[in-house]
Amino acid sequence: MEKVIIIRYAEIHLKGKNRGFFERVFFVNIERALKGLRHELRRISGRYLVEGFDEERVDEVCERISRVFGVHSYSVGYQVPSEMDKMYFAAKTVCPKEGTFKVVTHRASKKYPLTSMEINAAIGGRLLSEYKNLKVDVHDPQSHVYIDVRENGSALVFCAFERGRGGMPVGTAGKGMLLLSGGIDSPVAGYMMAKRGMSVECLHFHSYPYTNDQAKEKVVDLARILSRYSQTVALRTVSVTHIQEEIHEKCAEDLMITLLRRFMYRIAERIAKKAGAECLITGESLGQVASQTIEGITSSNSVVTLPVLRPLIGFDKEEIIERSVDMGAYETSILPFEDCCTVFLPEFPATKPKLSYILQEESKLDVEALVDEALQTTERIVL
Amino acid sequence: MIYFDNAATTRPNARSVERANVYLTEEYFNPSALYRGGFTVSEEIKRAREYLLSRVADPVNFDLTFTSCGTEADNHAVFSCAKRGNAVTTDGEHAAIHASFSELKNRGVEPRFARILEDGRVDEAHLLSLIDEKTTFVSVIHVNNETGAINNIAQLAKKVKAKNPRCVFHSDGVQAFGKIPVYLPKEVDLYSISAHKIGGLKGVGGLIRRKSLALSPYLYGGGQEKGLRSGTENVFGILSFRYAAEDKFSSLVKDAERIKEYRETLASLLDGELFKRLSPVDGTPYILSVSAVGLRGEVLQRMLSDNGLVVGTGSACSSKHRFSRVMTACGYDEKTLDGVLRISFSPETTEDEVKRAATVLNATSKELKIRTK
Repeated sequence: MEKVIIIRYAEIHLKGKNRGFFERVFFVNIERALKGLRHELRRISGRYLVEGFDEERVDEVCERISRVFGVHSYSVGYQVPSEMDKMYFAAKTVCPKEGTFKVVTHRASKKYPLTSMEINAAIGGRLLSEYKNLKVDVHDPQSHVYIDVRENGSALVFCAFERGRGGMPVGTAGKGMLLLSGGIDSPVAGYMMAKRGMSVECLHFHSYPYTNDQAKEKVVDLARILSRYSQTVALRTVSVTHIQEEIHEKCAEDLMITLLRRFMYRIAERIAKKAGAECLITGESLGQVASQTIEGITSSNSVVTLPVLRPLIGFDKEEIIERSVDMGAYETSILPFEDCCTVFLPEFPATKPKLSYILQEESKLDVEALVDEALQTTERIVL
Repeated sequence: MIYFDNAATTRPNARSVERANVYLTEEYFNPSALYRGGFTVSEEIKRAREYLLSRVADPVNFDLTFTSCGTEADNHAVFSCAKRGNAVTTDGEHAAIHASFSELKNRGVEPRFARILEDGRVDEAHLLSLIDEKTTFVSVIHVNNETGAINNIAQLAKKVKAKNPRCVFHSDGVQAFGKIPVYLPKEVDLYSISAHKIGGLKGVGGLIRRKSLALSPYLYGGGQEKGLRSGTENVFGILSFRYAAEDKFSSLVKDAERIKEYRETLASLLDGELFKRLSPVDGTPYILSVSAVGLRGEVLQRMLSDNGLVVGTGSACSSKHRFSRVMTACGYDEKTLDGVLRISFSPETTEDEVKRAATVLNATSKELKIRTK
């Protein structure tokens, strides 16, 4: 009796002629998630089977599978030869000892001597006489015992369905460049896009020496947490120190953030194109802070041609925090290292800047030269 | 690199590490063991204890318990003695005392905090006014670790005991031990010290205790340290502490005089338009706190570090806890608090380093001022 994990995919079954592509990527992603753990992954009629792992480490295997996007659900069960005694013994192991239950058999091998109904009755009957506190309820049972009789002379027996994260396999929906700050929102934004199958690359802006190395290290940690889901390979960092100093010196104080964001978008677009990313991803949520008003968003959007995806735009902070906790980033996000020094923060930032005012202030700067200079500071940190 | 953050930690004294090394590689026995090796090691610890104690107190009346750090010594003192009534300390304490006092609230003891003066010394009158017949514990830092101001703990202890003879008087001496002359009068009951501030290893501290004061254990177990602090002794650390202390105490007064000159040299070389001095002249020679008024200390610290000068700071870019608690209590305005730098020396400091440091400090501050004007 061997412990196995049965994995089922989410939306892929809706695909038509290109389903093979999605299935292949999904397979590779599970393999990647299980890297370093002894296992064997196989495809069986629309599902995947993980076998040959260390049974003591089953929780770790499950945890890693649960992080793969595209998994609809998975079950830990047993693989046994499809003989009645062996199947019964497996059923006895997975079945709860009390409450109501029902046996559900699925028979892929139609040559099997018993029909599904007969297997249900035989195994259900033996379970009933084994556990006195167990009762059958075929309409609304507390638990199901599933038996899959397969064509190769084996059967899969399992009880519970664990929900996966759903979504699409990462790598099936292009590549995006995520603007990753040290806050709560941007890692979640990356997570949301990865959930829809997008490969996510990360970009972080720092302003050393006004921000410190701890803040940068925190972003590296966040990128690592995100990469468990998104398979992000590297984090790029760019210094915007000089840009901030120039804005501070030459432009209106209330536009500091507005102008800086325009620079960040420009730099991000240049780096995205070079890295083969087809869009930018940000963690903006409408109205959350001064720069995330529709006016603020319009102002930064107008300097780029790539689409900017903002998966959190309609989310409340609370919903974002919930997702951040769920993906395991929250604790790191709230560490007190700030990604923007208070030296340059205006007391009253412009919430509804007019484009003419922005352009007038921006014209005091040599935008192209500053962008080029910032790009020179790009560092690539392999996660 | 010029290392001027010696109040945070010091470079371990190479000679003392070398001398102690034998207890790491050869005499590695458990001091509690009954065979000869164990006994020899326990004798060495005993000698280290006697030596360290005899430098600052009368070994007849005082004893020393080794701990894992100064913070542990402080915690041991607070939680063993402040068990009822109220406990009094100052606003100028290290976090090890300040946070422990805040915890006292949860344990049913009322913590009281005495104001400090602008230079960091405690406001004596206010301190005494907080002490009443219900006071069980009083703690006053010996040398303020941020400004370098020295509290006259001998005198304070006498006055405190005059007001309430039953309370226990503790002082955190981490920035004083091995740096300035100290001799504990009988009114001081407890005194915390630490190894790594004087060239010893991190991971060793000590709590000096007047022998007649009964203390409850801090860690229970095998009964080491007379049952007050169980746990196998950090033999290597303790001996490195002893040897480092030998080194420091052999020239303590001479070093202090020389470093005081350096401190004054540095203070005079700093550009008066950029820096404001915060440390008192009569404070410890080893700490010079200044403020680059209007600049952000943390940013300046990073730029200085990139320019080869390592100093401490009292501010942070973080919007929460932006300013140092102690410096705020001194009553400085925000602009001054923002720019606080703590420059701290060791006996290894040279005049050349001091002069170069002044040049770097002036040039870097000027640069930051221009960049953020």
